[in-house]
Amino acid sequence: MTSPFEPHDVTWNRVSPRLVTAWLVPAAISLGIPLVVGVVLAVTVSPWFWILGGVPAVFLVWTIILVPRQVKAIGYAERDDDLLIRKGVMFRSMVVVPYGRMQYVDVEAGPLDRKLGLAKVQLHTASVGTDAQIPGLAPDEAARLRDRLASRGEARLAGL
Amino acid sequence: MSTPERGLDEREPGPGQRVAPGRPGNPAQPDAEELVWRRVHPITPLVRGWAVVGAAVVILGQQSLDGGPRGGLIALVSSEYWWTLLAALAAVALVGWGYSTLAWRMTTFAIGAETVHLRRGILFRQQRHARLDRLQSVDIRQPLVARFFGLCELTLETAGGTDSGVAIGFLKGSDADELRAELLARAAGLKVARTSPAVDARSHAPSDVVTAGAAPEGAVPDGGIQDAVEPAGEQGAGTARPAPPASLEAPQTPVLTVPLGRLIASVVRSGAMITLIVWALAVLVVVIVTGEFAVMSASLPAVLGAGGYLFGRLTGEFDFRVAISPDGVRLRHGMLETRSQTIPPGRVQAVRLVQSVLWRGRDWWRVQVNVAGYGGESEEKNSVLLPVGTREEALTVLSLVLPDLGVDEPRRVLDAGLDGDSRTISTFVTAPRRTRILDPVAWRRNGFTVTGRALLLRRGRMVKILDVVPHERTQSLALSQGPWQRRLGVASFQVHSTEGPVHPEVAHLDAGDAERLIAEQALRARTARAAAGPERWMERRGE
Repeated sequence: MTSPFEPHDVTWNRVSPRLVTAWLVPAAISLGIPLVVGVVLAVTVSPWFWILGGVPAVFLVWTIILVPRQVKAIGYAERDDDLLIRKGVMFRSMVVVPYGRMQYVDVEAGPLDRKLGLAKVQLHTASVGTDAQIPGLAPDEAARLRDRLASRGEARLAGL
Repeated sequence: MSTPERGLDEREPGPGQRVAPGRPGNPAQPDAEELVWRRVHPITPLVRGWAVVGAAVVILGQQSLDGGPRGGLIALVSSEYWWTLLAALAAVALVGWGYSTLAWRMTTFAIGAETVHLRRGILFRQQRHARLDRLQSVDIRQPLVARFFGLCELTLETAGGTDSGVAIGFLKGSDADELRAELLARAAGLKVARTSPAVDARSHAPSDVVTAGAAPEGAVPDGGIQDAVEPAGEQGAGTARPAPPASLEAPQTPVLTVPLGRLIASVVRSGAMITLIVWALAVLVVVIVTGEFAVMSASLPAVLGAGGYLFGRLTGEFDFRVAISPDGVRLRHGMLETRSQTIPPGRVQAVRLVQSVLWRGRDWWRVQVNVAGYGGESEEKNSVLLPVGTREEALTVLSLVLPDLGVDEPRRVLDAGLDGDSRTISTFVTAPRRTRILDPVAWRRNGFTVTGRALLLRRGRMVKILDVVPHERTQSLALSQGPWQRRLGVASFQVHSTEGPVHPEVAHLDAGDAERLIAEQALRARTARAAAGPERWMERRGE
């Protein structure tokens, strides 16, 4: 069966595998704290608290399994007139953003991202529905992409 | 203040007439023009101040409702200190009016050749320059209080996201009309002479008015905006109408009005009303069964909310009139607050025709649009192109904003989109039969078709929806697929449009169809954009 997420004339660029770390660290912190609290309480107070510790543990394992696959699934491709971004393992999506439709481009990097050498490029069109972000780019690549998108957008800019 | 400001009374003679580009005898417009800063009407603070008083009264009213058993406000009113309440209200009113007066003093606006300038703000001064070639719509709004004074507020939407509009208010009714006409003329690409004497305009006006007025009439049903524009651009553009209040007004042709009876019937048959009735019955049953009246007061907010929505819809869409002019579609509606909207050609990003389940018997349809700048809170009020109408009327309104669908038999295609399904023979590509497990009710309706100028997406069986997106207005496209969809080999397709009530999408298309659609639609959107008309709709290409 052909997948609509694999257009034949497109070669996908992958994002940096360091994004796995960038996504796992916050998840590990937010799930790890209740996990530790639950385990401590279960040992000291009552075995019922194994439930409190168990639920975040299950989520954590699930996250650890899923995130690398999610990161691997993110791809982007610059075509002549539009940018393709795809993502998702279970719930897949692909968005096509024509360069002429871009209103502005954001490059963002949080503290952890900067430490890992990552940046996120986000494209904005006149529609709020356009969910076009590429996380996990190396800063050089993000800057290159930003400039390239901006110049291509300018060349093809049309009215609304 | 150092800027040359003038009061309303001593401003220069009103804006002159429309003059076609390059028309001989046109007093030359200097490029480096001097802006004439104007103030809004001096009664504005009084009108704005009322809003503060009204808000105070509403808050007090809510307090008294909430504080029911404890007495609260009601106890205060009936006690000997009732005058404190009046004094407090008076103080609020004074503060409101004082603030509004200051705000009025600081608010000035000016119309340049290509931009509208607005300065406002007391502590934080704001200067806003809105480019006229980015103009999306011009609306004149008249709230209830302003109506007593014959004042209007003019709102200019540009496509800059939330709160990007320029609101100039309040103005005298005739001034607002004049200003709107001037803004539209400038945005259309016509040059407006500021100092031309009105007498000069009158001398050649009548004959031109007739030709310009007659042109759109023939173009209304299927001819197209472009047809309506061109004759007006050639002959009618140089006209100024002799009647003073509409001196610059582009001629408009009424298309249809919504009768009051039908509007009321449509609201009675709407989903919100059904919900309200079912809710009321349920509450009544509970009260009878349990004997607890507390249930009634607990459900009051929900009932008030639904009732408020229905009331708002009824008053907002009261006396709805649709007209067409070379400057685009004109809408006029409202009972307590009247609104007069102008949407220039090519500003409509997407159109939705929707029929709720109880409207089917009468074959009524509601037409909504996405216009950049209209989205957000006031979406319910200003994104409606036709609150309720027969199929004929709905399609007529559609043809006003999208004159040419680019197919030979537009009516057949549209009918298939409105209430056809996979069993009717049409050009629609429909969701495959295997998706009935994902969408057991409406799977037959899910489908799309492509015409030369637009993409038509249909869905829904109880509430029928047909979305029309012109190819050149596509912002971006998306495909999505969940685990079940993957197993069945289908995918959902989405078109991203500007903020508004229309979210064009079609679910569960065959994967192959979806793949082709997204690839071809990207190409079509690109081609259509390249061929799209100019932003200034009166200017022809190559000028």
